[in-house]
Amino acid sequence: MRLRRVASVGVWGIIVSRVASVVVALGIGGVAFALCGYDVGRLAGDVVSASFGNLFGIEDLGLLWSPLMLTGLAAAVALRIGLWNIGGEGQFYAGAIAATLVGLHVQAPLWVALALMAVAGFAGGAAWIAVPAAARAFWAVDEIITTLLLNFVAALLVGYLCTGPMRDPHQAVTAASAHIPYEIPPLLDDLHWGFAVSVALVGVVALLLGRSVWGYEVRVAGSNGRAAFYAGMPVRVRLMQVFLLSGGLAGVAGMLEVAGTVHRLQGGISNNFGYLGIMVAALAGASPLGVLPASLLLAVLLNAGIVLQSYGVSNYAVLALTGLVLFCAAVGERLAYLRLRPAA
Amino acid sequence: MAEAAPAVALLGITKRFPGLVANDSIDLDVRAGEIHALLGENGAGKSTLMNILTGIYQPDGGEIRMGGVRVRFASAADAIAAGIGMVHQHFKLIRAFTVAENIHLGWGETPFAVSAPTMEARTRALAETFGLDVRPEARVEDLSAGEQQRVEILRVLARGARVLILDEPTAVLTPGESARLLENLRAYAAAGRAVIFISHKLDEVLAVADRITVLRAGKCVATLEAAHCDKARLARLMVGRDLAPPARGRRARAVGEVLLALDGVSAQDDRGVPALRDVSLQLRAGEILAIAGVAGNGQRELTEVVTGLRRVSAGSIRLGGEAMAGCGPAAFLEAGVGHIPEDRLRTALAPSLGVAENAVLRGYFRPPCTRGGWFSPAGARGLARRIVGEAQVFVPNLRVPIRNLSGGNQQRLVARREMAVATRLLVAAYPTRGLDIGAIETLLRFIGEARDRGVGVLLISEELDEVLRVADRVAVLFKGRVMGVFPAAEADGERLGLLMGGQAEAA
Amino acid sequence: MNTLTRRGFGALALAAAAKPARANDFPAIKPEDAVIAFGHVGPVSDEGWTYTHHQGLLAVKAAFPAARYLEVESIPYSADATRTFRQFVAQGANIVFLSSEYGDLLYPVSNRAPQTAWLECDGHTMGSNHGIYYVKHWMPSYIAGVAAGLMSKSGRLGYIGSMAVPTTYAGVNAFLMGAQSVKPQATMQVILINAWFDPQGAAQAGTALIDNGADVLLGAMDEAAYLQVAEKRGVPAVMWNSDGLRKYGPKSYVTAITLDWRQFYIDQTRARLEGRWQPSKVLLGLGAGVDVAPWGDSVPDPVRRQADAVRAKMLAGWPPFVGEIRDASGRVRVAKGQTMSDDMFYACDWTIQGVSGLHAT
Repeated sequence: MRLRRVASVGVWGIIVSRVASVVVALGIGGVAFALCGYDVGRLAGDVVSASFGNLFGIEDLGLLWSPLMLTGLAAAVALRIGLWNIGGEGQFYAGAIAATLVGLHVQAPLWVALALMAVAGFAGGAAWIAVPAAARAFWAVDEIITTLLLNFVAALLVGYLCTGPMRDPHQAVTAASAHIPYEIPPLLDDLHWGFAVSVALVGVVALLLGRSVWGYEVRVAGSNGRAAFYAGMPVRVRLMQVFLLSGGLAGVAGMLEVAGTVHRLQGGISNNFGYLGIMVAALAGASPLGVLPASLLLAVLLNAGIVLQSYGVSNYAVLALTGLVLFCAAVGERLAYLRLRPAA
Repeated sequence: MAEAAPAVALLGITKRFPGLVANDSIDLDVRAGEIHALLGENGAGKSTLMNILTGIYQPDGGEIRMGGVRVRFASAADAIAAGIGMVHQHFKLIRAFTVAENIHLGWGETPFAVSAPTMEARTRALAETFGLDVRPEARVEDLSAGEQQRVEILRVLARGARVLILDEPTAVLTPGESARLLENLRAYAAAGRAVIFISHKLDEVLAVADRITVLRAGKCVATLEAAHCDKARLARLMVGRDLAPPARGRRARAVGEVLLALDGVSAQDDRGVPALRDVSLQLRAGEILAIAGVAGNGQRELTEVVTGLRRVSAGSIRLGGEAMAGCGPAAFLEAGVGHIPEDRLRTALAPSLGVAENAVLRGYFRPPCTRGGWFSPAGARGLARRIVGEAQVFVPNLRVPIRNLSGGNQQRLVARREMAVATRLLVAAYPTRGLDIGAIETLLRFIGEARDRGVGVLLISEELDEVLRVADRVAVLFKGRVMGVFPAAEADGERLGLLMGGQAEAA
Repeated sequence: MNTLTRRGFGALALAAAAKPARANDFPAIKPEDAVIAFGHVGPVSDEGWTYTHHQGLLAVKAAFPAARYLEVESIPYSADATRTFRQFVAQGANIVFLSSEYGDLLYPVSNRAPQTAWLECDGHTMGSNHGIYYVKHWMPSYIAGVAAGLMSKSGRLGYIGSMAVPTTYAGVNAFLMGAQSVKPQATMQVILINAWFDPQGAAQAGTALIDNGADVLLGAMDEAAYLQVAEKRGVPAVMWNSDGLRKYGPKSYVTAITLDWRQFYIDQTRARLEGRWQPSKVLLGLGAGVDVAPWGDSVPDPVRRQADAVRAKMLAGWPPFVGEIRDASGRVRVAKGQTMSDDMFYACDWTIQGVSGLHAT
């Protein structure tokens, strides 16, 4: 038997390689836990029952899944045109800030207020990426650095707002804004309608990319910008649009977190969702629909992290496990192109 | 004379790919001191065979001997270490590096401490030794295809290979450069090395090779002494049938109105250096105007300004009377201008997308690719299937990424696609490059038919044969200037060659 | 474990139909059936704040070894906190100690888990199943302030704080009041680093304060970074949380505001297990949960004697925070002859005269 490379892999090949990678990563993690003296079977059973076996677990899963879905979608959309938006974290914050400002200062019926907050969240996220976007589209400035650095600016801005102008004096240890009077209605107890909105956005973006002329142009520009220009496509305009959409989606994630889950603006609200979104997009192979299972996987892992911590497992172990999954997925992606064939 | 063991011998080499036997028990021996030509159509198995010899593929059967000793190349590095050097058809240079850096990259003889001036001086010396004109300090991405290939050749020569393989090395060289290269190859062979020379150009093969091996459909058809061959026999062996004699077919007829008019056009290249200087040209509907010239004398920039890819710095471009200077590619596309660019994978194709998505690249915004404002994958596939069929490209399915197709297939696809776009003007840069004889005939026939329909054709080519055969008029570019324009009937190789070399015509 | 999960689920199902919780929602439990949870804001290895709470857990464990314990460290102020608290409920926690105020992040869970007793350190809102507790740290802070005032030559003190929250205002004011009682012209410059645990930020702030002329450092950090800066620069420093920090700057160490939750945690747990737990607001006093640590090597004997005398007076009932007290804008906050109450400190959002870098909100 010999290993051979094949030129292309179908959708099923990719799915099989992804699933196998995750299984291998969890297997390695399980062996490591077993070596540390944990009863892996029991831990796994508890993680499953805590995640899926009761209402709290399912709600938590949904509350983790939906922001990861959106930040993952944001990163995936950018990847389709060949851009690395590392700034999901900052755009998440920016969307949260904008939505909070609207929520605290606009008086309107609930649905109107929530719609305005969503628009503000999108606009906030888009505004936060606007400068890196223009710098990339018009002066070819590397967007990886610019979007990344703005994350720190956004985090500091939230810190400033929450300890300064927007601080709620009734909060003691936690620096946070006042409570926002508009809350997204529940879908399932603490799981709010933001989850459904997130799923719908994934569908809309998938449709846009796969079935619209705009999406075709984005895909061509992502594969070869020069060819897109040659084909008469407005490449810079598409770059800007994709950037703004990407930032806006991360901003909506921030808005949903503020309006649905936390109800205040505060430092650390992003929970690293922006960075984890990059991982989601990578696992999904930048496919919008692939973002659904990829973000679910990460949500399960993060949720498992909380369960494991109550058993005294360090949260770093969970972080290592997520890294292992990504690593295995990257290896699996390469291995998917190899086939075992009988020699001659 | 007692036969010494050949420098390289391939014995019974067999290589299978899924659904295809690329090499079927091929024998090839190349003696030290000879230039051995390898002839064959696209897909005849030449590239596979050479990939085996250079260690990139492992054969499924057969063996390789060097100087009579059996060798195994587990990797390309093994083959290089054994003294086998290959100049590929697709350049393997680092685009962001300078010529000197590319020459020194991964080379054992690169001094431990190097500075840019040292590397450039060493490169300049090497270039002189091998008679290749390169600019050591230039970045590869700024070079024309011809210049890049010279760097490739220099890179392999510098590493002192005992067996030199060149895959269509003259495709992008000027006649003068080709002649000089062939001379160098002869000197190289005379110094006791073996040269394997892959080419479609029968003239050239007959001129330079000592022996010729012809491959067809993965099999070795014949190995002949060049002295005992002629073009017709070689063509018959390659194609497996007799070719119709090339139809000169330039019929006397009234050409149409002025379609494309360039008046005093100047433009800069990517480095901001003037590349076109005060170019004035007219192309009539139903006419083929060939632009002859050595690559790097403004041809790329000329094709780009008449397709909207590059802005002019001065002058006017009119298409059917309408001012087009300052318009982008979309406006030219809309106006019925098709464009087969010089570097198809870099300019005309989206490498990671499928065949279907690439086939509709220039028509994606109108039915059948759109339906009610949305992109219709089914409609696009339908259109793609037609283009792919007409281009005679065989693919397992339309989802295969276009980068996995051979260069020849990519070229056919782009050519067919652009012919459909070109309702008024076709700009074709080196359209036959990388194609085999059969495909070249087909393509030139298509171009002739387009001309007959009243399409104006701007043909950029270095193949003087081709130019003289199909063009109605010929313009020569040298250092961005038009050296002269005259009817093809009045042109001959010598006159063109002088103009391409910058020698102005006597008044 | 599965039964516990099911119990958690059952509790939730109950909660869905629950009426407002009443006092008898907390029936007695046998220690071996009890689940006792601790949620920490930082890592237990911080040798500071979280370490002291972990000591509390160890004491409870020693008192009730049969119970099951849950302990989660480094719970961020984000929706992850809510998830962690839900996990406590899902695992059947009967009583939960949280070492920081989680406020809004806690209420959605505590409201849906009426049979769990919640104790929120430094919390500000009580509920029917939700008590709050803290320490009167302003008492030992005043004593440490006396020592700092005596040891400062220039009268310029530096304070490294986290955020503009009541604890910070209270600590700053009490330190400076103590210092001004012995050196009336003493002032205090505050730098906030926006974190409770950020060694690098604290070290930078300490350096900046010393560069700016401060000759004693005080603060409320969960770790020892500014003490190490003080040691290097030869400046005395007053610490927070535990005496264990002494080793990071033995020459500079003055004292620390030390915390001891052990007795309180044992009492609360016992009350819960015996079925008599009630939500309450508790501020642990001087010598009963909060105190000054033994004096460091840098503190001269006269200073020790004078500060110890103040402590003895306070333990005997002498009130140090007596009006007239004006805030930085000159407004009278505590009238002449009045005593500043514990509640005023607990909800403080203004500074006394002489404080810079921390503004009233």
